[in-house]
Amino acid sequence: MFTIGKLASLTSVSNDTLRYYEHEGLVEPAGKSPAGYRLYDKDSARRIRFIKHAQNCGFTLAEIRDLLVLRARDKACCGDVRARAVEKKLQIESKIRAMKAMSKALDQLIADCANETQPVNECTIIAALERATVATPVQ
Amino acid sequence: MKVEMFYTPGCSECITANAELRTAAQEVVKNLEWRDLNVLDDLDYAVELGVLTLPSIAVDGELVFTSMPTVAQLREALMKRSRKST
Repeated sequence: MFTIGKLASLTSVSNDTLRYYEHEGLVEPAGKSPAGYRLYDKDSARRIRFIKHAQNCGFTLAEIRDLLVLRARDKACCGDVRARAVEKKLQIESKIRAMKAMSKALDQLIADCANETQPVNECTIIAALERATVATPVQ
Repeated sequence: MKVEMFYTPGCSECITANAELRTAAQEVVKNLEWRDLNVLDDLDYAVELGVLTLPSIAVDGELVFTSMPTVAQLREALMKRSRKST
């Protein structure tokens, strides 16, 4: 069994983050020491690594909670998890598209601002933003 | 009219409901074109239409259902569109 500090160092996560995960119902101490300190086991460390990997793939903590529930459900199959991964990919691709549109809008503004020595009150970027005629990305 | 169902393989809900929905749609609209699209094969198109959840259904290139509709819901949506276009 590990203390919270040991689990934090094993998983490269801060004590505060572990407490937050506990508050969010993502991980629970396996028990308590006679002095009342939280104690964790190897499964807790596995869960923390799972959470971190899932976060790196873009899953929110609420979605990770669902994945952890699926992981523990006997009747769940890989297809259920795959469907969530596909939906996450769709969301990420949609964000990429929106960000590309934003980048393109900025290209236009940057190109229009040819004279960088102009005073700020004559800045074409400021003027364009005030006119709000810049192409807004599709959400 | 064209109905496109975006799905991911392994979605048991999609397989079960697909035939029923397709039949209902073809009953409501004559010369209906029904396409089943594996979202991973048509990712760009799906993103273009705004598909974020699966299954999703688009009608004539417009996202109409972002989860599996009932037969009645699909019928109603198609009938409404049919009336609009006539």
